[in-house]
Amino acid sequence: MAGACDMIRTLIADDEPPARDKLVRWLGEQPDLELVSIARDGISAAEAIAALSPQLAFLDIQMPGLSGLEIAAQLEAATAPLLVFVTAFDEYAVKAFELDAVDYLLKPYDRQRLDKCLARVRARFGDGAARSAAVRAARTQVQDCRRLLVPVGEQLQLIDVDAIEWLEADDNYVHVHAAGANYLLRRTLADLLVQLGEQRFVRIHKSAAVNLAQIQSLSPLFKGDYELLLRDGQRLRLSRRYREALFARMGR
Amino acid sequence: MSRAVAPGRADARAVYALWAVFWGFMTVVEIQDHFYNPYVRWWEPWLWQASSALPTTVWLILQLRVDRYSQFLDRPLQWVLQHLKWLPLIAVTCISFMYLVRHGAYALVGRSYNHEPWPFVLTYETVRVALFASLWLGILFAFRSFEQWSLERQRLAQLQRTLAEAQLTQLKSQLRPHFLFNALNTISSLMHSDVARADHLLAQLSELLRSTLRLGDQQLITLQEELQVLRLYAQIMTERFSDRVQLDWQIAADTESAQVPALLLQPLLENAFKYGVEPSRVPVRIEIVAQRLEDCLQLRVRNTGTIQPRGGGGVGLRNGQERLRLLFGESACLELRQNQEWVDAQVMLPWRVPAT
Repeated sequence: MAGACDMIRTLIADDEPPARDKLVRWLGEQPDLELVSIARDGISAAEAIAALSPQLAFLDIQMPGLSGLEIAAQLEAATAPLLVFVTAFDEYAVKAFELDAVDYLLKPYDRQRLDKCLARVRARFGDGAARSAAVRAARTQVQDCRRLLVPVGEQLQLIDVDAIEWLEADDNYVHVHAAGANYLLRRTLADLLVQLGEQRFVRIHKSAAVNLAQIQSLSPLFKGDYELLLRDGQRLRLSRRYREALFARMGR
Repeated sequence: MSRAVAPGRADARAVYALWAVFWGFMTVVEIQDHFYNPYVRWWEPWLWQASSALPTTVWLILQLRVDRYSQFLDRPLQWVLQHLKWLPLIAVTCISFMYLVRHGAYALVGRSYNHEPWPFVLTYETVRVALFASLWLGILFAFRSFEQWSLERQRLAQLQRTLAEAQLTQLKSQLRPHFLFNALNTISSLMHSDVARADHLLAQLSELLRSTLRLGDQQLITLQEELQVLRLYAQIMTERFSDRVQLDWQIAADTESAQVPALLLQPLLENAFKYGVEPSRVPVRIEIVAQRLEDCLQLRVRNTGTIQPRGGGGVGLRNGQERLRLLFGESACLELRQNQEWVDAQVMLPWRVPAT
């Protein structure tokens, strides 16, 4: 296991067996890559990334369940693996990644092209900016995030963003309160808010944000604070520091 | 029927105009005929003409509104006979009306309407109505034939347009990068593991593209020809999704020579892959079924899964439905529905075999 620490832990995700085989064959030949997971669809790829935290992921863009871009958009920018998108189409995505992502492979690609990609991966390996850039690029592609990937036991599940009532920060974790359930995400609130979009969610104090559509009423408290009543009966405090921003958003 | 109204109505105006000119001319002749006759008052020719024009106009309007004999247009004699069978009724109604009105009007001004004895009147007027009806049936026949011809021409143009649309859709879907480059990537992968299979697949992809490029303007082809192209497409897709699709062909042997609209099944199978297989995490079964049901050919492309809300319509399905309507009218249909665990695209066509 001596050398294993230096190996780049790599994940492959593609729903088409021949496409998967090709990557497995060629990446398997690389002395410094260790294939830790080979996923056949988007959800299992996201689960494998959460469970195994690979350092490098080759994501096919069109996959059932969750697309490669959607997977990337759900990752925490700071801890995401290096991402290489593999796709046969979608010129827009490709344009975005020309600027930001570590690399993308256009199907069909040859050995030479893959070697070039791997050279780029190795060069950028210690570079954290490359990871967050790929996640950012994916988020601009997956506009209007409608579903959020949350852990349920060992597995991941997609929940409707509209069903989320409020978000509660807890150190580097976020409690997602949705439809009576509580999911714990290993993300920062700031990063999650960027992903969910500021149209729908707004901060009410330093460590909480609320879904605007879930607010039922507001009543003033002392010193400019307000009490928020959500549709499900939950009461939350709106700190005066965030008051103006919320009122502006609600059209007052 | 509703589509036929637009061109038909414009032409009907021409018939009415002709009708007005005809009666105007008849009235002028009648007035002029009695102009210098001191025994005839000025209003009498008007009354005589009006009492004839009124019932015959009702007849003409009925003729134009109710079009029941268009299917006999290619057999003119039949068409005329079908109309003439109403002649006794028309004659009796028109003559009764004419004489009732005239007698009534004369009685109102305190005079009596004198005419030839009844047997003569009845014979004379019947012959007149028959001659009159024959003249106007001739005009109506010309009118109806023109209407039919322009409808036919319009239908043909629509048919060609929908075929061209289907061909374009086909071409687009095969040149779609998502299909083409994934197919090429499959071949690229197979080359390293199974050269013969890669070679075979490359030949099939080429054959598929070639068949799309040489599409003719034939509306109907045999099911066998349609299935040939379908199988090429199916094999490439099965290779790509080998671990989650199973194809089952249930083609009854006697159906292969039956005629089907070109490119009808392609979009249905493409949809089964696009909305059934590609987004699915579990294995999908696809069945392609062709069987004869009495006078109908039933074609089905069905896959396990549920109908996707946005995939329910689609250009391919709509185009297929429109072409079936243009080719076969009400006697063919194409439906997509959920049938227990199947998404079932079903086509019913009149059974047709090319003449040999």
